[in-house]
Amino acid sequence: MAQTRSGSKLIWDIAAYAVLILLAFICIFPILWTLLTSVKVEEDIVTREMVYLPTRFTFEWYVRLWNQSGYPALVINSLITTSVTVLICLLTGTIASYAFARFHFPGRTQLMLGYLVVRMFPAVLMIIPLFVVMQQVGLLDSSVGLAVAYTSFLLPLFVWMLKGFFDAAPKELESAARIDGSTRIGAMLGIVIPIARNGLVATCLFVAIAAWNEYLFALMLTTSQGSRTWPVGLQLMVGEFQLPWGMLAAGGMISILPVVVLFAIVQRVMVAGITTGAVKG
Amino acid sequence: MSRTSYSATSSAPLSVWDAINPVRMLGELSETRYWMYVLLLPSALLITAVVLYPTLYGMQMSFREMRLNRPDLGTDWVGSKHYARMLADPIFWVSLRNTAVWATSSIVLEFVIGLIAALALNRNLPGTKMLAVVILLPYFLPNVVAGHMWALMLDPRLGVINDVLVRLGWLDSYKAWFADPATAMAAAIVVETWHSFPFFTLLIMAGLKSIPSDLYKAADIDGAGPLAQLRLITLPMLKTIIAAAVILRVIGLVNSPDLLLILTSGGPGRSTQVLSLYAFQMAYKDFNFGYAGALSVVMFVLLMGFAYIYIRLAKVNQD
Amino acid sequence: MAPLSIQGVRKSFGSVEVLNNIDIELEDGGFLVLLGPSGCGKSTLLAIVAGLEPSSGGDVVIGDRNVNNVHPKDRNIAMVFQSYALYPTMSVKRNIGFGLEMRKVPEAEREAGVRKAAKLLQIEHLLERKPGQLSGGQRQRVAMGRAIVRDPDLFLFDEPLSNLDAKLRVEMRTEIKRLHDRLGTTTVYVTHDQIEAMTLGTKVAVMKNGVIQQFADPQTIYERPANMFVAGFIGTPTMNFLEGTLEQAEGGLVLRHAGGSLGLGGIEQEVGSFVRKPVVAGIRPETFTAAAGSASTLSGKVDVVEPTGPDTMVILDVGGQMMTARLGSRDRPRLGDPMTLGIDMRAVNLFDPQSGNRI
Repeated sequence: MAQTRSGSKLIWDIAAYAVLILLAFICIFPILWTLLTSVKVEEDIVTREMVYLPTRFTFEWYVRLWNQSGYPALVINSLITTSVTVLICLLTGTIASYAFARFHFPGRTQLMLGYLVVRMFPAVLMIIPLFVVMQQVGLLDSSVGLAVAYTSFLLPLFVWMLKGFFDAAPKELESAARIDGSTRIGAMLGIVIPIARNGLVATCLFVAIAAWNEYLFALMLTTSQGSRTWPVGLQLMVGEFQLPWGMLAAGGMISILPVVVLFAIVQRVMVAGITTGAVKG
Repeated sequence: MSRTSYSATSSAPLSVWDAINPVRMLGELSETRYWMYVLLLPSALLITAVVLYPTLYGMQMSFREMRLNRPDLGTDWVGSKHYARMLADPIFWVSLRNTAVWATSSIVLEFVIGLIAALALNRNLPGTKMLAVVILLPYFLPNVVAGHMWALMLDPRLGVINDVLVRLGWLDSYKAWFADPATAMAAAIVVETWHSFPFFTLLIMAGLKSIPSDLYKAADIDGAGPLAQLRLITLPMLKTIIAAAVILRVIGLVNSPDLLLILTSGGPGRSTQVLSLYAFQMAYKDFNFGYAGALSVVMFVLLMGFAYIYIRLAKVNQD
Repeated sequence: MAPLSIQGVRKSFGSVEVLNNIDIELEDGGFLVLLGPSGCGKSTLLAIVAGLEPSSGGDVVIGDRNVNNVHPKDRNIAMVFQSYALYPTMSVKRNIGFGLEMRKVPEAEREAGVRKAAKLLQIEHLLERKPGQLSGGQRQRVAMGRAIVRDPDLFLFDEPLSNLDAKLRVEMRTEIKRLHDRLGTTTVYVTHDQIEAMTLGTKVAVMKNGVIQQFADPQTIYERPANMFVAGFIGTPTMNFLEGTLEQAEGGLVLRHAGGSLGLGGIEQEVGSFVRKPVVAGIRPETFTAAAGSASTLSGKVDVVEPTGPDTMVILDVGGQMMTARLGSRDRPRLGDPMTLGIDMRAVNLFDPQSGNRI
């Protein structure tokens, strides 16, 4: 009996390894293939016979992308938009999330649910009026305007995710600090936020990744090189100039590099945050 | 009045500076019972400005004539004209059908693969932490890059997947997956599944951690095999989390046209045209904001209806 | 140090009444224990005294100052929490000195205060560590250090020992007693553990559903509980309740019950008005004696015998009512045997079963 039990456990363990390795391969392969393509010469990409490993390495696509297209400007625009988005979320979302985590007041549940339901509004339904409004207030085609538009779906996410981290910081700590001589705001800034700082960093990075990746709002709300972000720019290049695959691959690799690095660094805390936020939702 | 050496600050007389010191005033404000509302105000204002107002604006827009490229038509109220047009619009009906296929197939595939990955990862076998990072990665990649990676691999002339399938003998010749109405939707669903199944893995993993291991020990002793344990313990315990994940994903799938916009733009023909994409193109290409608004409102209503019924069903089953 | 006065304090969340007209007077240097089951409102009352939660009505007076509108930081109180609430990012030293730091006490003075408190609590060697590197007992000491260093008017303890294991709990209980004896600071202590209440308190307030059931010194609470709830809540094993009817017999009043009758000679209560009415006799397990020669006796069948070492607990079936008796370790009756136990009636309390109050 014991033998068959451990035998069946072994079989399941092997099956688990097999599944995970297969899935990991499927997940990583498109990225690897794009990476390979980005360092292949044109003759290795466009061939009659498939060339798997590059016959010789080249960084020409990267150099050409960086020098000949407006890519650096796109990346800078994206960086600005992303930073402003994170900043807005940080300033308004942190305190809101703290209030939800700490205080019970009439309408609290409804308000929190409201923040969640906001995500149900179709993007298109918001994009069109935002286009009109942004045009009226002169924020159309600006990084700040785009960042403000991003907060429409990222701020609720930020608040929900961060709330999980604030919930995890014991309430008694603030009571202790208040008795020790802090005001509420002093306790929040001096005690609670330092404790939740890992969560705060993870939440910010999550929002940053989402803002960095966003395509649809950017497509609609930016109209010129002055504020266009990289996903829109890359997509336009594909449409307009029949962008060679090598260059497209290089653009993709450059763009996801920060995402992959950030994700690898903070994935543990971030995963915890996303799940607590979502579980409670 | 306070005898101790560390007297309370309030017993000291207030200086003029104290009275106007903003830091001190903020501190005092934080001790009042209005403090939480002060904290909530900025974000609430922002949400009102960028979500509530635009949404309501969009809804009333759906009852107006509003074409950015035809200012001569004005912006008059047109009642339910757009909605009436929708009923007679064959593209709307095709989009609706495609939306259903797109959302349902993607959800099923994402859920099944996400569940399998989560169960496998939850065994906590040595070395799988690293695999977990790789498996979760696609979810964090931008749609634009994800789309092009797959477009490259499925390319009719240089696609590596075509090459592999031909070598395996499963295909006679390279296939233009996105150009054939019969396979375009399926190919797009594959890409979408690759991109988003980790979301289920993430949530289910979190749910699995909250199931007490004693339950499995008890089931072992009672002689329940792994599949019975999955059916009788794991899935019922994960019910809430799965319901939440499904709703969030359905919202995402129905609302965001990004991936299809990048991969196929709804083509070939109308074979991958979904509602969100139709609405977006109506606004972005035709500048017919009124009709686009009406399409979005219908989408929103359908989603709310779905969420309501789904939650009701999930709850009924629980009892 | 200061006396504490709680006058008509109420608290409600919406329509739910959590605290109902609480009146407590605690003398300077007293040790008040708020005792009750979870959800009785004792922690809420403590939070109101601390100023962490607003009350819905009533006054809290510390010393001669009404503190209703005084912020927690200005009440000159110190509090020890169940979870210790040590600031995880600060060293033990800074944790203890944080209250002084906030009050802008000069560094040197602060240092001296921290040293003194640490010495008193024997944690001088831990000052440079972070809370995460401490054991439960050590954290408890640090939390207490943080409280005493401030030399406050009032100490507040919120179930401080409930996160410790049994052995450490007894140790720290003694420590708290010693500290209070030495410092003499007025203290309010919340617990659900009746032993802590009995050993520490100079005054105990037993609470249930937001109402004070009895407010007295521990001995009175134990010997003369105001009602059946207090009687049942205090003491292990719990007090036995023998139901019956009060009757006038030839030798005096007796309690007629299903298994016979119990002579009430020696009882210290005026119960004449309850003749021919149902009453409940509250009998503590230790008031039973194995010697049957006593004037008042109960007879029954031995149901369970539990030797505990120093004592033997015998559960007796008296006409269907189970009575637990604490007998000497040598008394080992056999199961099923009939047994007669004597009772010291001076320690017995009679209750009115309708109101539950002591007659």
